[in-house]
Amino acid sequence: MSAAGRMAAGLTIETQGLTKRFGRQLAVDNVDLAVPHGAVFGFLGPNGSGKTTTIRMLLGLAAASAGTVSVLGQPMPQRLQEVLPRVGALVEGPAFYPFLSGTANLRRFDAASRQGMPGTRNARVAAALERVGLSHAAGKRVHAYSLGMKQRLGIANALLSPRELLVLDEPTNGLDPQGTREVRSLVRSLAADGATVFVSSHLLAEVEQICTHAAIMSAGRLVAQGPLEELRRGGEMRIRLLTPDAGTACEVLLRLGMAPERGDAGAGISAAGISAAGRHGAVGHEAGTHRAGSAGPDGEVVTAGAAVAARPVDEAAGAGNPQQVLPKPDLPHPEDIVAELVAARVRVRGFSVERESLEERFVALTGEGFDVAQ
Amino acid sequence: MLAALAAIPVLIAVAVRLSSTVPPGRGPAFLDRITQNGLFVAVTAMLVAVPLFLPLTIGVVAGDTIAGEASLGTLRYLLVAPAGRVRLLLVKYAGALAFCLAAPITVALAGAAIGASLFPIGPVTLLSGDVVQPPEAALRLVLIAAYLAVSLAGLSAIGLFLSTLTVVPVGAMAATVVVSVASQIADQLPQLEWLHPWLFTHYWFGFADVLRQPVLWDSFASNAVLQAGYVAVFGALAYARFVTKDVLS
Amino acid sequence: MNRAWKRWVPAAAVPAVIAAGVLAGSIPARAGDPLPGKSPAGVLTLLGQHSTRTFSGTLEQVSELGLPDLPAGAPSSGPVSAGGPASIIELLTGEHTARIFMDGPAKMRVQVMDRLAERDVIRRDHDVWFYNSKDNSAAHLTLPAFASDLPLQVPGDPGALPGRNGSGQNGPGREGPVPDQSTQAFPTPDDLAAKFLAKVDSSTAVTVGPDVQVAGRAAYSLELAPRTEGTLLARVVIAVDGQTGMPLKVTVSARGQAQPAFEAGFTSLSLAAPDDAMFNFAAPPGATLKELPVPPVPSVPSVPDLPGKPGMTAPDQDPDRVPGDAAELRHRDGPTPTVTGEGWETVVGFAAAPDGQEAQLAETVLKDPLLSQAAVVVPGGRLLSTSLVNVLLTDDGRIFVGMVPADRLQAAAGTA
Repeated sequence: MSAAGRMAAGLTIETQGLTKRFGRQLAVDNVDLAVPHGAVFGFLGPNGSGKTTTIRMLLGLAAASAGTVSVLGQPMPQRLQEVLPRVGALVEGPAFYPFLSGTANLRRFDAASRQGMPGTRNARVAAALERVGLSHAAGKRVHAYSLGMKQRLGIANALLSPRELLVLDEPTNGLDPQGTREVRSLVRSLAADGATVFVSSHLLAEVEQICTHAAIMSAGRLVAQGPLEELRRGGEMRIRLLTPDAGTACEVLLRLGMAPERGDAGAGISAAGISAAGRHGAVGHEAGTHRAGSAGPDGEVVTAGAAVAARPVDEAAGAGNPQQVLPKPDLPHPEDIVAELVAARVRVRGFSVERESLEERFVALTGEGFDVAQ
Repeated sequence: MLAALAAIPVLIAVAVRLSSTVPPGRGPAFLDRITQNGLFVAVTAMLVAVPLFLPLTIGVVAGDTIAGEASLGTLRYLLVAPAGRVRLLLVKYAGALAFCLAAPITVALAGAAIGASLFPIGPVTLLSGDVVQPPEAALRLVLIAAYLAVSLAGLSAIGLFLSTLTVVPVGAMAATVVVSVASQIADQLPQLEWLHPWLFTHYWFGFADVLRQPVLWDSFASNAVLQAGYVAVFGALAYARFVTKDVLS
Repeated sequence: MNRAWKRWVPAAAVPAVIAAGVLAGSIPARAGDPLPGKSPAGVLTLLGQHSTRTFSGTLEQVSELGLPDLPAGAPSSGPVSAGGPASIIELLTGEHTARIFMDGPAKMRVQVMDRLAERDVIRRDHDVWFYNSKDNSAAHLTLPAFASDLPLQVPGDPGALPGRNGSGQNGPGREGPVPDQSTQAFPTPDDLAAKFLAKVDSSTAVTVGPDVQVAGRAAYSLELAPRTEGTLLARVVIAVDGQTGMPLKVTVSARGQAQPAFEAGFTSLSLAAPDDAMFNFAAPPGATLKELPVPPVPSVPSVPDLPGKPGMTAPDQDPDRVPGDAAELRHRDGPTPTVTGEGWETVVGFAAAPDGQEAQLAETVLKDPLLSQAAVVVPGGRLLSTSLVNVLLTDDGRIFVGMVPADRLQAAAGTA
């Protein structure tokens, strides 16, 4: 983060060159995180990408091999004793003493902190349990809890005292859909109270729904971070064009600065898939190629193109050409593209704009699937 | 664990009660005195417990201190609470020390209780041949328990250190017990005589000096100094290890 | 990283501090004013004048005679060895501690600290009690009037208590219950000093070494060294208390051995009168009790004119014993021993006698697994070799003892 970042002064978590090495393996590689104050920050990455290790370093559980960490404006782990009481954390799943009740567990953790005021302990424990909906099971021993209940208890532990920062590592793990929804609303309400929430997850839908910011880890490296909108925009936008005048269309699109791609859309329709690299040149290109490959067997496109518009083209031995284009930031608006096409006498039979979902972006950045990084 | 320790004097007392006379000089020292005076059950039980049972229970308690929390995963939550690593270490060691005190006292109390119920209680003959009344004898028992508590402090520190090395509590427990047994074996080897005064088990049986008249405090003092040395060394090691440790469990 | 290394500093510093402390502690402290310089004769006079009869202290005895150590657990866990050779070896190997309380010549208590056990001798006037905690046995003895000032210094080996095990096999010194004949299991520095000083003649060089600290007291260091090379004894150092003249420590060094072969000295000493209750004793309840017969009169002269010198155990087994003390030996029963050599080189030979106690002793010694293990077969018999004393048991049953190399014993056996 540059001087500009510091001047914003609104960073709740800031790391610079954060690196963790286990023997020869580089678990976290030169990560510069910047979590703005008040953000709900989604920390994304496949399993094994270094998310939890990063969180451990943020919380002073593990020492960084290199780089610096600052949490709530204080260097970590040097000022750990001042910082951690203001931070609630759920790290790598909940862990409790199985033969103590939920209440007893929370009381024990609260007692472990020097700052935990014993006078209000009972009330705070009860309130935290209430907040995660565990009041009914508070007296039960934890070994009788289900995974979801333990998860809730773990979140309750993070909420024992008023916190300025909550670090929740996979908070919805093991929760049923109802619980997942509750956690989401909990996170929103915490953020509404002014807390910064740092949520790590590999579930994109979750992050997309609740986060204002996100960062994406892959194989120990931070590959993207920023406000969610910006991340989405950073992904590819494609237009899909269905036309018998494929050649002309390509020329027009090229002229407009796009990279058209003719593709066979199947069902005998010749197609031109056009893609253009986004901001992340190489990555975008790869992804574009990939999209073109899968566009062909895409039933929906084919059905739409062929059934409604392409049949006459069939006889003309022409081509129904679905074309995909990713506009660069300064590319014309979609309506201008259509206008240009029409002006060039391209018969536009179908036109659509596709934006990547965050999931597609995630896959684009971290590789196909949720394979554990090597 | 304390219940298991309390079972030792009960076992001894019942066995002596059920058997016929114990020939003098056979079996563990003091065993033959039990029929004459029930308080000797406590002394005999402590004597029997010193080489293995007490180190075993101390090993379990001390080995579990950090490794147990680490294996449960609760260690990270204690540290994030934040408990403070040094403070957590001190609290854990204080707990182990409390057990060091509780364990011999349990044996002594259980021994005195079962001894009083199965055998007559009367004036106690000390090693010097002098006779003391039961209240004084009870005080000597407490002194023995205190001696043993001090004796076990060094082992607890070793256990604490071993416990910071691993996330497998059983490993730390076993290692602690093995260390105590190894030290006792080394103490028996004449070839290692130069080493003997440095072994933390060296004065373990010196508690008999409490039963002399007047009490011989030399071994108590030597033992305390030795144990303090072990606590300092292994306490420093445990501190260094735990404060620099990456908590990854 | 730098931070992490700093955390290990205490872990390295603590052992370093301890090591430094140990090293500093091992340097003898030179506390207090130096003692006024004295010539050997002056120290001898000081020693001879001492009349300290009131003190309490802890004595420690260390033997490095080269005999095999007993397993440490044996004395307490095994059945009482009842004064057999095992207990003799026990006292000749390793370390032993005793506490001594004295208040005038008639009140005394010696406590020999055993592992988980204790042997006591308590004397108040004419009443002498022996107590052994191992088998909870007590013995009582009333001293005759003529022995009222008999300095009873050392507890008898408990096994040597009469009636316990048949005295015959325990050697000549153990026959009677007489305190002065009881085994000197725990010689005090005073006893030892007297013994060695009695040997001082023209064959011995007497010098005064640098002052030493013993039990926190400044002491002269009186060194006796044989002028001859023909003895195993290298040097005897007696630490003589600078104030009272009381011997505080006796160190016996053997030739060719860095560590002292035998050392007995106070580790703590108080010249205040002990609590009078220390000298009260009654047989504890449940103890087996023996009343000992009054010591026979003839044994009294066997204590030579040196004060504080009880009789000896069998000569081959007593490191402080100076063989060849013919005057003493003559008092023993059995055949008169032969004496060859002079001074420190004296070799004493005991003739074979079928019913003689020496023969029995030899038998006992050889039957004992530990001793027979220590004895090696040499031409003409078997040799029990220690760094200070050699004992030759010839095949025909004779015994030769001397603080001389083994070949001198063999030579003596050949000529006798």
